[in-house]
Amino acid sequence: MQMNDSQRIPASKERVWAMLNDPAVLKQCIPGCERLEMTSPTEMTATVVIKVGPVKASFGGKVTLSDLDPPNSYRISGEGSGGVAGFAKGGATVRLEAESAEVTVLHYEVDAQIGGKLAQLGSRLIDSTAKKLAGEFFTRFAAAAGATTDAAPAEAGEKKGWIASLMS
Amino acid sequence: MNDMTPTREQRTAALEGMGCKRKRVEDIRFTQGKGNYVDDVKLPGMLHGDFVRSPHAHARVKAIKTEEALKVPGVLAVITAETLKTVNLAWMPTLAGDVQMVLADGKVLFQNQEVAFVVATDRYAADDGINKVEVEYEPLPPLVDPFKAMDHNAPVLREDLAGKTTGAHGPRKHHNHIFEWTVGDKDLTDAAFRRAEVTIKEMISYHRTHPSPLETCQCVCSFDKVKGELTIWGTFQAPHVIRTVVSLIAKLPEQKIHVIAPDIGGGFGNKVGAYPGYICAAVASIVTGKPVKWVEDRIENLTATSFARDYHMTTEIAATKEGKVTGLRVHVLADHGAFDACADPSKWPAGFFNIVTGSYDFPTAHLTVDGVYTNKAPGGVAYRCSFRVTEAAYCIERAMDILAQKLGMDPAELRLKNFIKPEQFPYHSALGWEYDSGDYHTAMRKMMETTDYAALRKEQADKRAAFKRGETREIMGLGVSFFTEIVGAGPSKNCDILGIAMFDSCEIRMHPTGAGIARMGTKSQGQGHETTWAQIIATEIGIPADNIMVEEGNTDTAPYGLGTYGSRSTPVAGAAIAMAARKIKAKAQMIAAYKLEVHEDDLEFDIDGFRVKGLPEKFMSMKDICWAAYNSVPPGMEPGLEAVSYYDPPNMTYPFGAYLCVMDIDVDTGVYKVRRFYALDDCGTRINPMIIEGQVHGGLTEAFAIAMGQEIRYDDTGNVVTGSFMDFFMPTMVETPHWETDFTVTPSPHHPIGAKGVGESPNVGGVPAFSNAVNDAFSFLGSTHIQMPHDFWRNWKAAKTLGAVA
Repeated sequence: MQMNDSQRIPASKERVWAMLNDPAVLKQCIPGCERLEMTSPTEMTATVVIKVGPVKASFGGKVTLSDLDPPNSYRISGEGSGGVAGFAKGGATVRLEAESAEVTVLHYEVDAQIGGKLAQLGSRLIDSTAKKLAGEFFTRFAAAAGATTDAAPAEAGEKKGWIASLMS
Repeated sequence: MNDMTPTREQRTAALEGMGCKRKRVEDIRFTQGKGNYVDDVKLPGMLHGDFVRSPHAHARVKAIKTEEALKVPGVLAVITAETLKTVNLAWMPTLAGDVQMVLADGKVLFQNQEVAFVVATDRYAADDGINKVEVEYEPLPPLVDPFKAMDHNAPVLREDLAGKTTGAHGPRKHHNHIFEWTVGDKDLTDAAFRRAEVTIKEMISYHRTHPSPLETCQCVCSFDKVKGELTIWGTFQAPHVIRTVVSLIAKLPEQKIHVIAPDIGGGFGNKVGAYPGYICAAVASIVTGKPVKWVEDRIENLTATSFARDYHMTTEIAATKEGKVTGLRVHVLADHGAFDACADPSKWPAGFFNIVTGSYDFPTAHLTVDGVYTNKAPGGVAYRCSFRVTEAAYCIERAMDILAQKLGMDPAELRLKNFIKPEQFPYHSALGWEYDSGDYHTAMRKMMETTDYAALRKEQADKRAAFKRGETREIMGLGVSFFTEIVGAGPSKNCDILGIAMFDSCEIRMHPTGAGIARMGTKSQGQGHETTWAQIIATEIGIPADNIMVEEGNTDTAPYGLGTYGSRSTPVAGAAIAMAARKIKAKAQMIAAYKLEVHEDDLEFDIDGFRVKGLPEKFMSMKDICWAAYNSVPPGMEPGLEAVSYYDPPNMTYPFGAYLCVMDIDVDTGVYKVRRFYALDDCGTRINPMIIEGQVHGGLTEAFAIAMGQEIRYDDTGNVVTGSFMDFFMPTMVETPHWETDFTVTPSPHHPIGAKGVGESPNVGGVPAFSNAVNDAFSFLGSTHIQMPHDFWRNWKAAKTLGAVA
């Protein structure tokens, strides 16, 4: 699964960069993140609860930052195992572009892969779930940047069909 | 004779023999919920086993940690490949001459592969245990696309085969290559193509699907340490084969293994093979000394036990411009998954796919099949068809339609022009088979007349014109299919499983009061054997079918048989029944002659007893003969009345049929409606017309499922994305169309009662009828071939690709 998009963040490029490297901010913004600890300047361990369709699992894994080009771009990638629920791995290449002194455009290219029961039972919901999670991340990230943005909380307020509500 | 004397018709009817629409005797218990299935087997102290399965399609197993799982209350043992190695059972042989991991040994090769077996006091505890087994994987690049399997840089899947350039079926040309199988005359066929006025070429895929019986695969294994005996209750289509396989791989004496297949809730090929669950349950029982039950859940059944099809058939036909076929060339890329666990007779790596010349008189043909490994579940079973016959029928029936389209001919007319003629039987096909009997033209014409085919074509032409004028958004397709099956495996000269010839058997024992029991080497999974086998005996020996009990599935009491699959029961076991009954009848005739004080040759069989020729009042009923067999047999004759027959068929049987599907498709939504489905089957002698009709209804429903949506689909990383009934199409009465059935009767000349087998014909003939209907509907928009399955989305996509939808 792949996703490309960009987001306007009402903060300076340097501030956005700092936030992107701050485990506390990341923990706050990653949906379902229960734990995120820095083990080295570029490595973290995390516990994230993910729910796709009927499967909910707690994923333990590590997050790595690479290709660092401060304050312009990096790649954040991670992989984790959710036991019988399966596994997930993926990453995002993030590039920052200063639109003005107070506005930064964050471009991201996400690639993600999931396997196991999550993929088998939730395959039809993966793309929409991923988009929803990305939407949530950036809503929170923008909020953390100290201002609101027009980032739509994708699907968050959307009325679910009865089948979907049974499964979530 | 007074009025009370029953007429001949009444006496015949009282037998409920062959040709009678006898009600299924097994339904009395099934419809009351009184069937006895494997999951009904509950033994004192019974344990439950369940699998830890791989989430990865291809990964190295670095470590399996079981300590935490063993702390879960109720969990008694966790079996891994390391455990199995101590008894030399980490790997097991497959029916196709390959080996298969029982539990992951160093690597996993498909998603949901069995990694560890958790044994606990109940299923819930086992599941809790599974959650606590930690497996450390190192993911490897997965190989999902069979067309990339033999690429230069394709990942090596089977490290155990490193350096082996020869497999069970000859040379291997790549590390992911299993076999190449070649049949026919290449030079003659190439020459036919060089001379051809018209040729077609198309890659026709028959996607991966699954038999998905409602009852999944399961077993209960119970090892008696004192006696050293292993009893296995299991969902086995071939119980004796399982006993022999278990004996060979577990090194247990065969007489100490008792295999019992109780009632089975559908098999369709899924329950032919031996699975890791059986081995693990048996080992767990031997280790713990307690009975161990293993029952697959739905996801496990769809994703781990044998799939069906996955054949990619590049098909070429050479023909004259008048539409006479002159040559056939087919190359198949066969995706077998991680292990070649194909359930075919051992010498046939692609089953009987060489029936691919179908019902047509091809002067020459050439076939090659390449089997490859991929990171998918192993298998390749005959899902409601004889071995790879449904793939072959789909291939040729689709190709004939493509040829008709190219020639601008009607597909029915093209078929009539190329059929093997009645006078050509026994017919020797270009790929080596001897067709026993057939009258294709009569069957086809009956189909065309009954459905008013000409009027349907006229209606289609009018609708197409209306579509082009923009007056309708609906397109109409006529799916013609004329199939020839090859069933009844098989003659010992060319069919065996692990060296055991594919005969079948029947033992009949008559009791003094004119009743009896017939024990069989076959095993019904819903086919109604208890009903139909008794009908054959009734007609053969003149004892009412109700007085004959049929028993199957217990290897201690049943004579050795190769089981029920590939429509082999009637052609092989049905013949064994008739032959055993005839032995009974021959002895009965001697007893009757003695009692009636005439020479045997003076007697003639008359419905339900023997009559002295010319003296109609001198008659002895079979019922009375049964009594006499136990008290007054001729001097020197052994008392009793029983017989055994092991029948080795001289040839296969070749059922055939003409099907028509009329379908309407809305191009804007892709939604189809099967307006009419007509199925004419010729299965030779018809034993029970009602059961035949039921078989045809069931087979057509499965054909409908496969053609219109049922698929085991993998994503690029090897995840099964259709692993539950949420995504795997299982038609219910809501989706299932109405079926019209019809028949002609062309008996098999070599079968004792002329029967050919029917259970699988409707699946074989049905799939091409549905697919041809969809393809026919779209053909006027410029398409030649649209791959199955034809679900709404794909229909809509086809319409869009062809420019019919903006």
